[in-house]
Amino acid sequence: MSQFIISVGREFGSAGRAIAEELAKRFDIPIYDRHLITEIAAKTGLTPEEVEKYNEAPKLKILSRRVNGYSNSIEDNIAEMQFEFLDEKAKSGESFVVVGRCAETKLRKYPSLISLFILGDMEEKIKRVMKIYELSEEDAKSFIAKKDKKRKRYHNYHCSGHWGDSRLYDLSINSSRLGIDETINMLEQYIKARISK
Amino acid sequence: MTAAQIFAVIIFVAMFIMIVMDKIERHYVTLGSGILTLTVVFGICLHDGKAIWNTLALKGFATKDFWYQVTESESKGINWATILFIAGMMVMVEGMAKAGFFRWLCMKIAYLVKCKTIPIFITFMIMSAVLSMFIDSITVIMFLAAVTIELAQLLKFNPVPMILAEIFCANLGGSATMCGDPPNIIVGTSLGFSFFDFLTNTGLVAGISLVVSVIFFYFVFRKELVSGHGSNVDMSKFPKPSEAITNKTDFAISSVIFGIAVILLITHAVTHLTVATIGLFIAAITLITSGKHALELLKKVDYKTLVFFIGLFIVVGGLEETGILELIADFIEKISGGNVMLMIAIILWVSAIASAFVDNIPFAATMVPVIQSLAETSGLSLNTLAWALSIGTDIGGSATPIGASANVVGTSVAAKNGHPIGWGKYCKKLAPATIIVLAISNVYIIVRYL
Repeated sequence: MSQFIISVGREFGSAGRAIAEELAKRFDIPIYDRHLITEIAAKTGLTPEEVEKYNEAPKLKILSRRVNGYSNSIEDNIAEMQFEFLDEKAKSGESFVVVGRCAETKLRKYPSLISLFILGDMEEKIKRVMKIYELSEEDAKSFIAKKDKKRKRYHNYHCSGHWGDSRLYDLSINSSRLGIDETINMLEQYIKARISK
Repeated sequence: MTAAQIFAVIIFVAMFIMIVMDKIERHYVTLGSGILTLTVVFGICLHDGKAIWNTLALKGFATKDFWYQVTESESKGINWATILFIAGMMVMVEGMAKAGFFRWLCMKIAYLVKCKTIPIFITFMIMSAVLSMFIDSITVIMFLAAVTIELAQLLKFNPVPMILAEIFCANLGGSATMCGDPPNIIVGTSLGFSFFDFLTNTGLVAGISLVVSVIFFYFVFRKELVSGHGSNVDMSKFPKPSEAITNKTDFAISSVIFGIAVILLITHAVTHLTVATIGLFIAAITLITSGKHALELLKKVDYKTLVFFIGLFIVVGGLEETGILELIADFIEKISGGNVMLMIAIILWVSAIASAFVDNIPFAATMVPVIQSLAETSGLSLNTLAWALSIGTDIGGSATPIGASANVVGTSVAAKNGHPIGWGKYCKKLAPATIIVLAISNVYIIVRYL
């Protein structure tokens, strides 16, 4: 397989992004996560802050309307621009890692897609979030719940499948079981096996 | 309340909520609600086969009045004339778009005003209003917004004010004629009004409002529109209008068909041809002249919207047959205390406020039987109430980004090109303009009709 696209869906605090970054490094391919925001910003003339504001955000249904495929919601338009951007990259034959953005569904038509979902035990996720964001246990717990709720709403609005449903992904893995490094090693082996097929 | 009334209301409210929720496509929602109305309200609750037949209104096709109408008549149930007319215009518009008509027109006008920002701003507002008098506002804004963004990049101006003004003027232009906005087609075909009736009543106030709006937007937006290029514009870098034409023969044919449609609509009170006949005729000549591309044009017709209308008319038919709409009419009469000025104001402003947040098509379809009933009980002229309803629903939709289809399309085209327009930015400029036009309309109705 000359092209391979690794999509990484993740629960907040599961180290999904760190795992994706390390995989990109090991396979020496670009990663589209925050970089996607700058790419979209450059393409549209918006500031990265403006794109960030509406990034992976579910729209407020009561304030939005869709007519013949057009939507007044900025969140919808930013999401569609990201999907189009990823589709163009995939079509060009480039190999890359993408974090979130419903990529496991939006890029499903490409045989080179390897879709992963990273989850984690709540205690581990809380510990990680407390450390990174310097939050109390209680705040970290509610922060995780808030972030995951947002991701779930965003995903389920743009896709027919449910966020985190193992049937949507090639592999779902709990990063708390092996620890982050071992999880990365295991995923690397899996991806190499897929590429060599 | 009877069981039939309760079910009719539940189905209607559930339909409205589901349209707003946008989880299921709106044509499935109205069609499903329509089928429920026919089975539960008419079948199970009322055991009334005749009501089902009346609501389906299929026998209308066999009557001469449906195609050639000498005397004005009112229709009930599914308004097939509206559906046929909209379908016909959809076919014509597809033909025009394919030939490059709209892009050519936009570019031609930009060239005529020498690609200067402020003259483009003013002429595009007027063009938006005039085109929307005959063509659906979605198509008008789709092309106008795209060309505006292209010109903005070349001339280095901010396209957002221009797109906002175009959206507003498209909705305003739509209110001027019977075929400009779906609520007007529903009001016109349901109550037997002609194109000319609209033009001389809502058209007049739309004309006055257009002048006021152009002045208003000029003063509100002029600072944001100042071109980086000043007065020296190098027009050689611009795409030529003729480049927009994909095929000269198709372009000439589609322009002639559009001209015929306009003439037929303007003269239909004299020729007695109904809008259903005009829609069918226009579709037929578009398809015949497009030859081997006919199937392609037919495939592009927005069948979802047509199905949406059919379902909607059935649900409203349920409310009408069960007498719910009469209850609403009685309620309006009661709270206005028989004061006609207040009654007009309620119809105008409530229609406007409702249309600013919910789809104005179901609202207008629901309100037509209400104003009929209100006219009967209060003695107020049905025409006056109809103009208030049309203006309210058409203009009110401009106030928010979700109030009308043109707003959604315009803001979406802008966002996809790097100019997101949120609620704040939108409402800050267009809500005051909407209130100004509604106030003008309110005064106009009182002075002219009361």
